[in-house]
Amino acid sequence: MDFALPDDLVALQHAVRDFARREIAPVAAGLDREPRFPRATLRKMGEMGLLGILTPEAYGGLGLGYLAYAVLLEEIAAADAAHATIASVTNGMPQSLILAHGSSAQRDRWLPRLAAGEAIGAFCLTEPHAGSDAAALRTRARRVEGGYRLDGSKAWITSGGEADVYLVLAKTDPEAGARGISAFVLERETPGLSFGAPERKLGQHAAITTSVRLDDAFVPDDQRLGEEGQGFAMAMSALDGGRVGIAAQALGIARAAFAAAARHADEREAFGRPIREFQGIGFKLADMATRIEAARLLTQRAAWLLDRGRRATKEVSMAKLAASEAAVFVCDAAVQVFGGYGYSADYPVERYLRDARVTTLYEGTSEIQRVVISRQIHRENAR
Amino acid sequence: MIIATYVKHVPDAEARLDAAGGRIEVDDHAYALDGMDEYGVEAAVRLKEAGLADEVVALAIGPARAEAALRTALALGADRAVLLETDDELDPLAQAAPLAEATRACGAELLFVGGKQADWDSAALGPAVAEALGWPLCDWTTELRLEAGEVAAVHDVDDGSEDWRAPLPVVVTTQQGLNEPRYPTLPNIMKAKRKPLDRRPLAVPARVVTLDAALPSRARRGVRLEGDAATVASELARRLRDEAKVL
Repeated sequence: MDFALPDDLVALQHAVRDFARREIAPVAAGLDREPRFPRATLRKMGEMGLLGILTPEAYGGLGLGYLAYAVLLEEIAAADAAHATIASVTNGMPQSLILAHGSSAQRDRWLPRLAAGEAIGAFCLTEPHAGSDAAALRTRARRVEGGYRLDGSKAWITSGGEADVYLVLAKTDPEAGARGISAFVLERETPGLSFGAPERKLGQHAAITTSVRLDDAFVPDDQRLGEEGQGFAMAMSALDGGRVGIAAQALGIARAAFAAAARHADEREAFGRPIREFQGIGFKLADMATRIEAARLLTQRAAWLLDRGRRATKEVSMAKLAASEAAVFVCDAAVQVFGGYGYSADYPVERYLRDARVTTLYEGTSEIQRVVISRQIHRENAR
Repeated sequence: MIIATYVKHVPDAEARLDAAGGRIEVDDHAYALDGMDEYGVEAAVRLKEAGLADEVVALAIGPARAEAALRTALALGADRAVLLETDDELDPLAQAAPLAEATRACGAELLFVGGKQADWDSAALGPAVAEALGWPLCDWTTELRLEAGEVAAVHDVDDGSEDWRAPLPVVVTTQQGLNEPRYPTLPNIMKAKRKPLDRRPLAVPARVVTLDAALPSRARRGVRLEGDAATVASELARRLRDEAKVL
């Protein structure tokens, strides 16, 4: 069993680490204080190839697998969580669903722009009263001449109002539950598509998040993805990849917080010695490092399974659960290691904690991950 | 016209150094392309993109791991690479002759070398290889143009900057400000794997032998000197000479 990353991937990892350190990390604190959608860095990330990691080279992407995706996203997140969220969303749902279920014309129309980062993608599933219970969404898609009219509202949409391409899940058949949901691709300028003000969140401020309103928005037939009623299954099938991405993001934030805490423990002196020499601090750092390593191994193994075309629903959920909860633990512990300075905005750890806190909430709450894992366990035992 | 650009694989800024048994040890994964050499690669690639050169060849001297620096140069736009492979730590004077030979062998008329090497902090290689080639040297270059077979440049001298001009072939050493190097994009890194890279064994004697290596100790004395300026200055000079032994 070789735990080492392939040399080729290490070369990419180093290049992205260097890029992130020089281009993304320096703008992170400023964007947290004065949030705006980071178009300039996103453009550079697009040129680097970071916004189309999984999309095949034929469409302008890198054509890499989930292990590379996880490794590279972790590097972005270690520099800034918000950039990683925007990148993960545009890489994940819109591109992977259009790739898997789009017609040839649809793929040609959207994939090259998304993969190059010329267009940013967003994913609209969640609604104000339908988060974990996604199938209870109410946005309606009524059949009309030549297409559909969409009505409803979506909540917590990353890159809302800033993204160019929106993948929207709506009910074409309200009586059919999950099987009545269809997927549509909308451009930002679609009449009837509007956006709320940016949500005031605890962290990740530059990852502009808004509500999305659909008021009788017309969507032509050729912008429906796949067949009617397939939308929910499509979205669920893309979840595994999305969750690997979020696990990687959580690892990146945790790694940054841990590195800051370890460095501080080396430099800060109390009672005549660096505080890392006190077991209270040393044990904390040991626990932080252990949880990060464990979560990283789970994440890389889940990605490895996906790259081999194997079912990995349980492993992906375990990775997301472990990495997100580890991130919150590590960031909170990092604040503690910094003492009073951990509470100050002049030091990065309070931002890491605020950024990490959402990782147990989106892309499936920790509770949902536990439901998924327990169901898989039951399935395995029932045989 | 063929341009050669020398690249070195050096410990990166974040590398942790260890001095074990009189040798400096660095984790193999903590190396990167020397930042100074990036300016050279970028300058060469831009000349090619402007149609003023046909080919950019990246040259390196070092152990097998130095291939990574060459792959980065290829990802930045070099067309092919040559690694003169040796496990010996060669000082700049010992590198000059093999580098000159490799430059001649690839038919280059312009050679870029980093103004200074990040590991040994030496600026000797550029002048040494120019001497070995018998070519004029423009060092600490901040501006460069190629005009009708001549290099027209601006470079730093001790008391300012100077215009410099000479017909090819020429050696140019680089510095910050010559250009803004591009990032190796991920697609280009992946393409670089397929570009030609030649490995040739190199056996030349080093002219400098390292007898011992140690890291400076980090203990802080924290002594406060009291008194008027003259007293403090004299006491400081005494301590620097007699205790710290740096004077």
